[in-house]
Amino acid sequence: MATAQATPSNALCSDRLARRRRGSLRFAAVLALGLGSIAWLGRATDPATRPLAGKPITLGATIALTGNANLYGQDQRAGLTIADRWFREVGFVEPEGSAEGLSLRLQIEDGGSDEPSAIAAFNLLIREGVVALIGPTLSQQAFAADPIPQRQGVPVVAPSNTASGIPQIGHFISRVSAQSSVIAPLSIAEALRRDPSIRRVALFYAQDDAYSTAESSIFLKALKARGLTPVTVQRTQIAENDFQAPITSALRHQPQLVVMSVQAVAGGNMIRQLRELGYQGQIVVGNGLNTPNIYPICQRWCNGILIAQAYSPELDTPINRAFLRLFREFHGSQPPPQITAQAFTAYQVLAESLQRLQRKRALDSVTLGQARARLMDELLAGRYQTPLGPIHFTPDGEVVQSRFYVAEVRMDPGGRDGRFALVREQQLPEVTP
Amino acid sequence: MIDNGLLVQMLLGALLGLSVYLPLSAGQLSLATPAFYAVGGTLAALLSTRWSALGATAAGSLPPASFLLVLILGGLLAGGLAVVVGQLVLRLRGIYLAISTIALVEIVRVAILNLPFTGGAVGIFSIPQPFSEAGGYLVPALAMLGLTAALCHRLETLPLGRAMGAIREDELAARCMGIDTTRVKLIAFVISAVVAGSTGALAAHFLNTWNARQGSFDVSVTTLAFVILGGSRTWLGPVAGGLLLTALPELLRPVGDVRLVVFGLVILLGPVIFPGGLVTTGLLERLGRSFVPRRHSASEVR
Amino acid sequence: MIELVLQSLLNGAASGGVYALVALGYTLIFSVLGVINFAQGALFSIGGYFTYLLLGGKIGANGAFPGLALPAGLPFWLALLLAAVASGLVGLLVERLAFAPLRRSGSEPLQALITSLGAGVVLVNLLQILMGAEGYSFPEGALLMAGLPDALVIAGARIRTVQLLLLVVSVVAVVMLTIWLERSRAGKALRAVAEDPTTALYLGIDSGAMVRLAFFLSGAMAGLGGGLIGLSVSLPGPYFGIGYGLKGLAVLVLGGLGSVPGAIAGGLLMGLAEALVPPDASGWRDAMAFTILFAVLLVRPSGLLGSGPIEKV
Repeated sequence: MATAQATPSNALCSDRLARRRRGSLRFAAVLALGLGSIAWLGRATDPATRPLAGKPITLGATIALTGNANLYGQDQRAGLTIADRWFREVGFVEPEGSAEGLSLRLQIEDGGSDEPSAIAAFNLLIREGVVALIGPTLSQQAFAADPIPQRQGVPVVAPSNTASGIPQIGHFISRVSAQSSVIAPLSIAEALRRDPSIRRVALFYAQDDAYSTAESSIFLKALKARGLTPVTVQRTQIAENDFQAPITSALRHQPQLVVMSVQAVAGGNMIRQLRELGYQGQIVVGNGLNTPNIYPICQRWCNGILIAQAYSPELDTPINRAFLRLFREFHGSQPPPQITAQAFTAYQVLAESLQRLQRKRALDSVTLGQARARLMDELLAGRYQTPLGPIHFTPDGEVVQSRFYVAEVRMDPGGRDGRFALVREQQLPEVTP
Repeated sequence: MIDNGLLVQMLLGALLGLSVYLPLSAGQLSLATPAFYAVGGTLAALLSTRWSALGATAAGSLPPASFLLVLILGGLLAGGLAVVVGQLVLRLRGIYLAISTIALVEIVRVAILNLPFTGGAVGIFSIPQPFSEAGGYLVPALAMLGLTAALCHRLETLPLGRAMGAIREDELAARCMGIDTTRVKLIAFVISAVVAGSTGALAAHFLNTWNARQGSFDVSVTTLAFVILGGSRTWLGPVAGGLLLTALPELLRPVGDVRLVVFGLVILLGPVIFPGGLVTTGLLERLGRSFVPRRHSASEVR
Repeated sequence: MIELVLQSLLNGAASGGVYALVALGYTLIFSVLGVINFAQGALFSIGGYFTYLLLGGKIGANGAFPGLALPAGLPFWLALLLAAVASGLVGLLVERLAFAPLRRSGSEPLQALITSLGAGVVLVNLLQILMGAEGYSFPEGALLMAGLPDALVIAGARIRTVQLLLLVVSVVAVVMLTIWLERSRAGKALRAVAEDPTTALYLGIDSGAMVRLAFFLSGAMAGLGGGLIGLSVSLPGPYFGIGYGLKGLAVLVLGGLGSVPGAIAGGLLMGLAEALVPPDASGWRDAMAFTILFAVLLVRPSGLLGSGPIEKV
């Protein structure tokens, strides 16, 4: 270093050192002053006490547009954008007059795939005065970020969090994404209906993915309820796509049924590799694979896999037809993934609740904080016709969805494109999961 | 623009920057900081949620004294681990040390994921809160940063700090001068781990939740970027780098989808434009000039 | 029992070949400059996407130009080759932006870690903006696998044909590169610069040109790896190369920095070790690579086939 080489005398050296240390202290003082003023300027400025009137009402969305979960975020962005457009063009409840005086704005912020980014995005949106929040994409992010709007009284609708305990974070936290505990057993039942002689089951799941681990334990329970224990359980990693080792290891146990709970692209690869390595039995996949994104990955090998769905593109209702039409306008011929339908639904339930409040004149001359509180109560009280089917909420904020579907993938002869052919529609009794 | 929540994250960034800086100031490129951060955070999350003696209420609040205790315990566990690991890895040099510490980070990550009591992929959530709002964390975060910074500043004049500097310049020469290099390196490594462990404990509470993803290879390289971009020759460098680089992605939100491209460009061009980092010794010397010009010239003459 | 051993060997070889390819990319640059190029993982992704586009693949709905594609796709081997060349050119660009300015100002090698990391962040995020995050698989016409069986069964042990192909191509690429480094004029010059830059200078070797050559070759290796992986597991999103980059780093150090045979041996060993993790402990598989690395470094501080301490970072 310069000090070590260019020192003709000790005095000069120590003088420079002293000067440097003095400089350090001065720099630190300036830094501390700067941090102090940032803290002062950034102290909690909750706009909750401002009157609501005079501005368009803003819905804030925090989804993963960067990082490892970005595929979900991009699918969610599609759902939210379509919902926003649909609301503008038609309005959800009544074609005319319903949106009278209610102008709605959607603000999407990237919540990344990690906890700090989701927290920052939530804070930003709350500070900007949104009336409600949609997001974040991952359950782990929700555990970190949801306590903030809960403390400040901002309603949150989660479009894709399926871990247990999310609505229990507090009064203001709700979700439209049904837990896998409700859905997953249906596809197991279908597989066993097709082949009651099944005894040997292999289970694969991505152990570092919150969604897959939760779902896999539901699968285990559903199997156990039928007296089956897996002959092998293979744990994979979320970012893994080459399953040569776990598959050959599982095939040594000669399974008659493979159950997998992994994310979409990895799942597509796992199906293809299972088939290529000679597995011929049935395959039941988790809800993470309920997206046409898997078609190009597992191609002709996708054929015949069974999946239980919280959303079926084949559902023939007015709202789903409208949703499909808008989706195709933007994204070509493929049907929308489940996660897109759920994002659409999150926007829809908030917009309809706001419409109802507007009609009751409950939004006149209130503060933002009061509007948020009223919106939450209205949200939980309502019933909704959504692309997912009819839904409503428990007082906790847990979604109650009564219609679920079991589909079988049928691929086109070319093996590049296919559809989730509806096998069975299940009307579950309305119990809270 | 910058709310108190983000400010807390920036302070945590600065602390992690210092944790990487400490071994580096003894010439050791250790990227183990996220491993100790993860260990500290996991311990804190476990203690605050499971250990009833800490006095967490059903409403989810935690007495400040218990919070302080958890911070200390997080640091101590990380430090203890560092004593063991340090004796093994500090024999390695340069890039071998760097990669073996990355290996440590990955092993710790997989361990936290697989241990039966750490909540698997979901992790530990609903961690009791010592403060009613995010701004409350400013006090402990600032205090920890102040303490660590004061320690680093003090080290510059202490024999230990001089020994660390000597090892950084030339380890062999330092050994020949009679410095117990093994011991000095280990001490720097352990202090770094204690800082990272306590930071993790604070972060676990601040984030409300903790899981294996918190300490990963990504964090290793980001924290190294704090030090390199901020300047690795003085403790103010990593502090400035940590504050700035943590805030940057948030400040870049107005540019939209390309914000991470811009962020990458800053990391790419930063060291090219500021070869010694943002805060260099030269800058500090200029800053430290006396305000009274007469005395200044007198000292030059003398 | 024999079947199990053989299966593990095959599993190990299947992933080990690619690990070796990644590690070789690092090794080339490390041996010349003594630095690690953190953008290597991003180049891996880029190679995969280049191959996809050259095969006539369409940009998906979340990309910047949905539906855009080349008017006609190239045959697979040509596309792979061109993608490798294109990735090599991106590697040159990375050298130009992230490494050359630092070398000119004589900065610490530590800084190259960060500038190359920045280059990687820029590349991956650009890739995401251009192509979207969706998974892509190579267009059907490109699949040269038609007619071949999906998997080969050798004494009861199975391996997917595409994995075997991947292994063969990786090994051929690695061997060809090694021979080229040993025999050709440019290869010898490259090694001369790697061993002793000063002597190389006296011999009249343009070290700048050799550094660029190393970056080009290393980028091309990564591109080749990305394209091959794409054939086996499709393109799971712009971040997919990063994971291979991290594993490659472990392999690199396991084998010994800057040692080409070490990179190959390390890759195969790593693949094998991962394959040998018992299924009950499969959750720990990812830690396996790094535990071995940790253990090897403690016994041999310079890796398996490395020689002497390397002070540069």
